[in-house]
Amino acid sequence: MAIRKKKSFFDIINEYFSDVEELTSQFEDMFMEKPSWSQKNCTMEPLKEVTVTPKEVIVTVDLPLAKEGTIEVKPLDNRTIEISAEMKRKVRFDDFGITHHKGEFQRFYCQTRIPVPVKIDKVQFTLKKGILEVHMPRKHGERIPIE
Amino acid sequence: MSEITIIEKKNIAPDATMLFGFPDVGLVGVIAASHLIEELNLEEVAYIDSKLLPPLIVLHEGLPHSSLRVFANNNILLAVSEIPIAADIIYPVIQALIDWGKSKKTKMMISLSGIPIQERQDAKELKVFAAGSTPEMLKLAQEKGIDILGEGYMVGPQAVMLQKCANMKIPALTLLAQCFYNYPDPEAAAEVLKSLANIAGIQVDVKSLLEKGEEIRLKARDVMKRTQQELSGIKKTREYDIPLYVS
Repeated sequence: MAIRKKKSFFDIINEYFSDVEELTSQFEDMFMEKPSWSQKNCTMEPLKEVTVTPKEVIVTVDLPLAKEGTIEVKPLDNRTIEISAEMKRKVRFDDFGITHHKGEFQRFYCQTRIPVPVKIDKVQFTLKKGILEVHMPRKHGERIPIE
Repeated sequence: MSEITIIEKKNIAPDATMLFGFPDVGLVGVIAASHLIEELNLEEVAYIDSKLLPPLIVLHEGLPHSSLRVFANNNILLAVSEIPIAADIIYPVIQALIDWGKSKKTKMMISLSGIPIQERQDAKELKVFAAGSTPEMLKLAQEKGIDILGEGYMVGPQAVMLQKCANMKIPALTLLAQCFYNYPDPEAAAEVLKSLANIAGIQVDVKSLLEKGEEIRLKARDVMKRTQQELSGIKKTREYDIPLYVS
């Protein structure tokens, strides 16, 4: 029989702060207004969508002008992935007729929270018509028996 | 005094076809409208002034413009919005535009929009569907080989436009190209423009629109994001619902 180790006071505090951090991040994603680009990092945030199906979680990301072969999908933790891709060419504010900002962008970058547990090490992705499709099989818990 | 005023900057020719291109799924209407303005050199002839609109102007070459404007040549009046229209002002805005269009003796009204499909990235070809304000308009669409959107729900400015036109017995159509829900879709805009050419004889070359597709998608990200927020407010996903008709 497995012996469950009792959580220390510090483990509990660490978990608490980790939960608060996660909730803050979710809240920011939902309600905080922020630009879709970062001058400092020379990145643009792409449009994205997360779909949960019975078998997998699918994240799609719109990556126009992305250079095929430069797309990277990395797990940051069990529930977060980071997506980045190089652009075919540098894009400047001038290209959009904007003269009051200066800067150029050469990468797409975003992070996405996965709403249900997944086997993050089994991530697969494809690019179709400039839309990145990331597939992650779901990790199912134990079935609840019907009484 | 009306809550919405349409201010005319130039004379409006009668017997024009009035078109509507508003931010909606895939930004199909707005992308199509922008292409029409560019290809046909349409001029700004009128704009909407209203306290109901958000406190926002669009700057072009340093000068302020309304976010809701009408562009035209002798045959076309094109109402276009650069920002999504909030749910609570869709009715008054559309009613004002239709009343104004009727007063200008327009011969037909057509709104350009999209209908989202799942697995859009796997679609080999995109179909365009039509819904009409009268049986005659439906017949016209069918004669031109456009499928009719027979049963279902339609949500957004194009839905209000069609209902108002039906009430006022104005010949009108809504053309809906299959598209992405959440991503700008220039290919769908090209398809809706081909159907518009077929129905109303308004011809534009869509080759350049398709060639600039990736640039348009990049540029349209922010408008698409704002539009997603409004679409959620008007419960746009009802268009996926299976209707229960009470006859």
